[in-house]
Formats: sequence, structure tokens, C-alpha cells
Amino acid sequence: MIEAVDIHKQFRTPVAKEGPFAGIRSLFARDYRVKEAVNGISFTLPEGEFAGYIGPNGAGKSTTIKMLTGILRPTSGLVTIGGMNPHKERRKVARRLGVVFGHRSQLWWDLPVKESFELLGAMYSVPAAARRKREGEMIELLEMSSFLDTPVRKLSLGQRMRADLAAAMLHDPDILFLDEPTIGLDANAKESIRGFLRTLNREYGKTVLLTTHDMDDIERLCSRVLVINDGMLRYDGTIPELRERIGLPTVIRIRFQREPNVPESAAVGLTPLRASVEESAADLAGAPFRIRKWEGRQLTVECNRSEVTAMEVLRAVSEWGDVEDVETSEPEFEEIVRRIY
Amino acid sequence: MNLVRLYVMLIRASIRSRMQYRFNFWLSTLLATLVNVSEFLMVAVVLVRFDGIQGWSLYEVGYLYAVISLSKVIYRSFANDVHNLDRYLVNGELDQLLTRPLPLLLALMSQNFRIMLGETIQGGGILAVCLVMLLQQGQVGWIAIPLTLWIILTGAMILFAIGLTTSTFGFWLTKVEVLQTLTEDAARSAAQYPLTLYPGWLRSIFFTFIPVAFANYVPSLYVLRHEYGPWLLVATTAVALLCLAGVLAFWRVGASRYQSTGS
Repeated sequence: MIEAVDIHKQFRTPVAKEGPFAGIRSLFARDYRVKEAVNGISFTLPEGEFAGYIGPNGAGKSTTIKMLTGILRPTSGLVTIGGMNPHKERRKVARRLGVVFGHRSQLWWDLPVKESFELLGAMYSVPAAARRKREGEMIELLEMSSFLDTPVRKLSLGQRMRADLAAAMLHDPDILFLDEPTIGLDANAKESIRGFLRTLNREYGKTVLLTTHDMDDIERLCSRVLVINDGMLRYDGTIPELRERIGLPTVIRIRFQREPNVPESAAVGLTPLRASVEESAADLAGAPFRIRKWEGRQLTVECNRSEVTAMEVLRAVSEWGDVEDVETSEPEFEEIVRRIY
Repeated sequence: MNLVRLYVMLIRASIRSRMQYRFNFWLSTLLATLVNVSEFLMVAVVLVRFDGIQGWSLYEVGYLYAVISLSKVIYRSFANDVHNLDRYLVNGELDQLLTRPLPLLLALMSQNFRIMLGETIQGGGILAVCLVMLLQQGQVGWIAIPLTLWIILTGAMILFAIGLTTSTFGFWLTKVEVLQTLTEDAARSAAQYPLTLYPGWLRSIFFTFIPVAFANYVPSLYVLRHEYGPWLLVATTAVALLCLAGVLAFWRVGASRYQSTGS
């Protein structure tokens, strides 16, 4: 459905001169620095996929989206959307795309929301009856009936974003590109938009590519994550796989009734160790965990859940004293992503 | 045909948007009228004092002035944001237009329809007065009226082509304000007078690189002064169409160079 093969995008940006008369000299001769905004990215998104596209600011996310939507021409490489080149056949491709840029609106600023829908319907040559039907569905899904007659400039950000999403769906595109659709929204508005996107993907089978800085968006919605940094794809796969690959440890905090009797070999320097070295049960042999901190009755250990279960760790440490309380915490998704950047 | 209907629909939406700010609309109309009237009064004073310039009478110069003003009104009303393209380039607003299933130029032209009521009334008024006087003096016949309308139309095409060419340079240069002052404003102001007024090198620029001469001066030679022959109007139209074809090709090259903003 969406295919990118080794796409590159270079921007030539003038470099400011330094030294005396810098301003004047830069008027006559300009040095250019070539910036590789996107540097050889390839991926394929099949129909019905909900992919999250993440990366720090300036990583090349928006540039990629602009190439996929035909706004920018790749310096080299090939993009196909449903078998078409979005730059050469921009207008045809545009009919199959819904595009929402979170920090821009495609609605008519001074006109009521309803009129924007009418204009967009005409622009995409949607028959009036079909448009009204879709409009009705969108109004219901996004709960927009209260502000349909309000000029767009008077909408709250959350309302405007909902209206923009509805507008992008009026011509029933099969692909949606969303560039930070939840930017600046409060928790309620985010939730409403996520619910809508989930419905579009699960029930209507739309293919969605979403960029965001909100990791909750990714975790709640996406079946697949693409991580980009410095213009290159650093990861492409599912969220559980990503967690596993980064292998951030699960942290287990254990409180003992009395100060535990941690064996020398385990506690020395609090360095990584094989827990099973001497005293643990035979079936624990080779299962790794690591003591991060030991303070009186409080012991903090970390382990990798793909190698050892929490129960096994607990069984091992219970040999050192009577356990009073246990608390485990999974690695935060944000933390995982930060590791890849 | 479908695109024309859509264009009309978008233009009407743009007018509705503008009418949300009625005060602003009426004030700008009033100011535009005042500015234009005082501008023409300056010309008129000089002409009355010297009884015409270079053999062109007051009414003839008024005709030149009115024709190019009305051409500009048509160009700027229907394609206002072609003139403001650099704004879209600087803040990346062109992205939004490129996601629509419309030709980019059409999307741009339908963004903002400008109602230039002040300029229309003033230009139309001067044209009416001049034509009536010229008719009374027997210098022109009734045929001059439809011919004049045609000249205004081809003139608008030429001004549009000049404006669009200048704006298209924005795809390389981003800011083209000063260039616009030169190619659009200065050249158009110059064409308000008979071009014989200017030195040869400047005149040849107006016949080639910035072909404002064909917007009013050249066709007026036939319509007002019966020089050359009716083929002059055919030639003017041909020049206008050539300019349009050329600039559309140039525009396509420029648009494919669009760099957007940010990353």
C-alpha cells in the first residue's frame, strides 16, 4: 500500500559567514551546507496497518511524510502509494490520502465548520448525498454537533483537531497521514481522538501512519513502530519486540522483615552476577538478575523478563530472608525509545 | 469545466470569509479609492498644464492609465495570492495546498479573492470619461468599446504572466518583494504614460523582458490613433497567450523545486 525504497532528501542551507563584514560578504558568496534530512529510508506498510513513526525533533519525520504525500520530491529513491508515484501523480494520489498536520489547519479559518466540509466535498468531487452521510458518521464519532456552525477561528484546539480529522476523512481515503495529531491537546481530547483513530483502523480498515511525541499514542494505537533518528531508520517492528531488543530491565523492589542475609558473592560491589552461583535452587541455574541497590531491609534488583520470571527471582531472594512486600515495575516505553535515540 | 465550477465556489467562500470583516473591507475600499484618485489627479494636473505629452492628449493618456488599472484589477482580484506566493514559501503554507487534489496554481489563486471596488470604480470612471470625450471628438468609433474590453482582458493576462514569473523565482530565492516592486509596480506605473517618453533601452525592456507595452500602449496605437492595422490587436493577443504558456511551463519547473520548511 505504502512503499518507500531507499529514499533520500537533501536540503541545501546557506551557512552564515563569520568574522568581519560577515553580513555583507554572505551577500556575495554563499557557502552551502548540504543537510541530509532523510538518508536512505526503506519500508513497506501493508493495507490496514497502524504504524507509529517516532523520533526526536529534526530527525526527518515530517520530511518523510512530506515525501510520502507528494509535497516534496525525494532527492533519490522511490515512493509508491497504492502503485502510484505521489510526486508525479500528486492529484490522483491526493484523492486517496487523508492528511492532517497537527499544527496547521486545512479548514477555512473564517467560515463555519460545516462550510469547510461542503467545500472539501466539492474539491474531492464527493456526491452531496454521500458526503452528508459520511459527515453524519464523523459528527457522531467525534461528537462535533455542538460546534458545526462555529467559525473555525473560534474553536478550541481540541475541537479544531476533531474538525480537521473529520475533514480529512470526508472523501473516504484509504490512507491517513497524521503529523502530530495530538500535539497540545488535553487528556480528554487526546482520548477522544485516539478512540476515533482506533475505530478508523479496526472497523474501517484504514491504513494509518502517525508521527507523535506522545508515547501513549504509540502504545495505545500502533501495531508497528518505526523509529527514525538522523534521517535513518533505527528500528522497524512491533512494540513488544522493541522492548525486548532494547532489553530494559524490569525493576523489582523487595522489602524484607529483617535485614536480609545477602551472600558476599551476590553483594560484592553490587555488580552484575549470576544469582544462582551458590545458594539458589537448582532450576535457577544460569538465570540472571542483578542487585541494583541494598539498603537495610530494602533490596532493589533488576532482571530481564525474557530471561527470567519475577517468581524465579523472588524464590532466589527469599532464601536471604523473609520477604514482607514486593513491587515490580515494567520499563516505561519512553525510556525504551530514549535508548534508541 | 469542473475545475471552473470549483474555482467559482472557492472564490465565493473567500468572499464570504472577507465579508466577516466588513469594517475592514469598506475602509480599505475607501482608502484605495482615495489613493488612486489622488494618483491620477497628479497625472491630470501635469497633462492639463502642458496640454498632453509627446503628442498624446489628456484623454489618450487617461485611457492608457485606466486600461492598465483595470487590467491590474482583474489580475489581482482573481489571482491575488499569486502576488503573495512568497508568504506561502516562507512559512511553508504551500504544504497544505499541495495535499489537495487540485492544480497547485488553481489552489493558490482561489485562496483569497480580493474585491477591488475602489480601483474598479476609479478606473472605470476615468475610462468612461476618456472614451466619451474621444467619441465626441470623433477620434474613435463605437467599435472602440468592445476592443477596449478585449485589451483590458489581454492586459490582465500579461500582468498575470509577469506577476507569476516573478513569484515563481521565489522557489529559488524565497523572498521576491523587491523584484516584484521592479517588475510589477514600477513597470506598471511606467506603462501609465505613453512609452515614447522613455529612453530606448528602457522601452526595449518593456517590449521584451517585462512586456507591459503590450498591455496598453501597443493596442492603443491602433484603437486610439489608427496606426498600423487591426493585426496589431491579433499580435497583442498572441503575445499574451505566448506569455501565459511560457510562464505556466516555468511555474511547473519552479513548483517541483519546492523545499517546504522545517524538517
